[in-house]
Amino acid sequence: MKKGTTIALSLTLLASLSFSGEQFAMSDADRAMYAEMLENNPADIMVAHGEELLSDLGGETKLAKYLGVSETELPKYIAGFPRYIEKFGMVVGLGQMLQGMMHDSKKKVLPLANSDMNDLLAYTKSIANDELINIDVNANQHMKDAYALGKITFDTKRGGRGLSCLSCHSPDVIGTILRTQPLPDLRVNNTGATWPAYRMTKSNLTTLQGRMQGCMQNALLAVIPLGSPDMVALEVYVTDKAKGQAIAIPGLKR
Amino acid sequence: MKRRDFFKKLGTVVAISAVAPMMSFGADEKKAKGPNELSYEKALEAITNGKGAKPSAKVHLKVPEIAENGAVVPVSVEVDSPMTEQDYVKTIHIFATKNNNSRCLAVHFTPANGKAMLATRVKLGSTQDIAAIVEMSDGTFLSASQSVKVTIGGCG
Amino acid sequence: MEKVKSLIKIKPNTYKDGEVVKVSFMVMHPMETGMRKDKKTGDIVPAEYINNVKFDYNGAVITTMNVWESLSANPVFTIYMKINGAGKLTVTFTDSKGAVNETSSKIKPKG
Repeated sequence: MKKGTTIALSLTLLASLSFSGEQFAMSDADRAMYAEMLENNPADIMVAHGEELLSDLGGETKLAKYLGVSETELPKYIAGFPRYIEKFGMVVGLGQMLQGMMHDSKKKVLPLANSDMNDLLAYTKSIANDELINIDVNANQHMKDAYALGKITFDTKRGGRGLSCLSCHSPDVIGTILRTQPLPDLRVNNTGATWPAYRMTKSNLTTLQGRMQGCMQNALLAVIPLGSPDMVALEVYVTDKAKGQAIAIPGLKR
Repeated sequence: MKRRDFFKKLGTVVAISAVAPMMSFGADEKKAKGPNELSYEKALEAITNGKGAKPSAKVHLKVPEIAENGAVVPVSVEVDSPMTEQDYVKTIHIFATKNNNSRCLAVHFTPANGKAMLATRVKLGSTQDIAAIVEMSDGTFLSASQSVKVTIGGCG
Repeated sequence: MEKVKSLIKIKPNTYKDGEVVKVSFMVMHPMETGMRKDKKTGDIVPAEYINNVKFDYNGAVITTMNVWESLSANPVFTIYMKINGAGKLTVTFTDSKGAVNETSSKIKPKG
C-alpha cells in the first residue's frame, strides 16, 4: 500500500512538472497587437455614458464648483485623487467624492459597486486624461496616515496561503512570468493612471478598487470593502507608485 | 491524524484524480451545443461551392501567436486589391476552425471601401487555427490561416 | 427596451474628400453563444448575438456584415471607406432576438 502511494504521488508530481514545463509567454508582436486594441476600446462607450451621467449631475461646471476649484484647474485636481477632502473629513477616492456630490445635490446616491457608478467614475477620471498623477501623500496628516495604512495593507500577508499584494508585486519578482503574464512593475506600467479599465476577461469596466477586490478573492484573502479606509489607503499607496505618469482612461487590460 | 494515515488519504485522492480525466471525456459528449453548430469544412464547402480556396500571399491575416485569453482575440485581415469596379474584394469570411460554430464574421465589401481590410475580435474555445477565406470579384477564392495558442493566463 | 449603446469612430479626426479613412463601429452587446451556463443558477444562458451590420453612407450601402456568436462580447468592427462628400454614415445592426438599432456619425471632409 505504502509503495503504491509513493508511485501515485510521483506520478502526479511528474504530471504537474510536465504542465509547468509548458510555460507560454507572449511575444512582443503579440503584445503590440493587444496594445493596438486600445484605439478601439469597448469602454469608450461606457465612458461616453459616464459623461451623460455627469451632465445629469450638472456637468464639469458643477463638479468644479463642488470641489471648490476653477474649471481650468479641474483636470489637475482630479489627477490628485484619492485626496483628503475637508467637508468629508477623510481621504476619499473619486467614487466616494461623486457619492458626496449626489447626496449634496439631493440626487439618488449610487452605490460604489454599480455599473453606472463605474461609468461615471471613469468619465470623471478621464477629464484628467494626459495630466500627470500628482497625488501628494505628504499633503497633510490624513494623507500620511492613509499612505502608511496602505503600505501595511499592501505588505501584510493574509489568508490561508499567506499571500500579500507584495508577494506578486515586489520589485524582486517583476517580469517573472506567472500564468503567461509578466508580473507588472506598478511604477512603469502606469497602474494608478490606467484604471478604470476595460477587462477583456470580464467584458466590462472595472475600477482599481474593484480589481484589487478581485485579486484578494482569487488569492483567498478576506475581501476589503470598496471605499473602506483600508481600501482607500491601498489605492493611495498604489496610485503614489504611478506618480508622474500620464492618466489614460479608459485602460484596456487582460 | 497520524502522518501515515494522512498519506493513505492522499493516495485515495490521487487515485480519484487519475480517473477524473476519463470521466471528463464522457462529459464532453453532453456538452451544450450552441444554436449554429457548423464545422469549418462544411462551411468552406458551402461558401466556395465545393471549389475550395487557394492559399495566397495577397491575404494578410494577423492574429496573435499566443492569446492572453480566449474571450478577446484580435483578428485583422487585409487583402491586396485595387478596389475598383473591375477588380475588388467581394467578401472576407473569418473562421475559428474549431469553435462549435466555426463562422465568426463575413464582411461584404464594395469598391466604395477604398481598401479591403477588416479588424475585429473573436472568442476562441481552444487552441486552433483562424482562417480567412476571401471571395474576389472574379469569383475566385483565396485563403490564409494561422494558429492561435489559447492560454488560461493571468490572475482573476 | 433600452437603446443598445454604440459608437462610431473615424480615424484620422480630420480628413479630405477622396481620402480613405478607418471606420470603427463598437457596440455594447453580450454576444451570448447559448452555450454558457449562468454561474449562480446553472441554467444555460440563451443565445443572443448581433447577426447583421449594415454601413450606409449617404444612401448607398457600402458594406454589410453577417455576424455569428463567436465574436467577443462588446464587439468592435473596423473597416475602411472612401470619403465621397459631406453627409452621414449610418450603421444599422440587428441581433438574433430581432432587436434593430442604428447609430450615425456626420461626415465632414475638410478641403
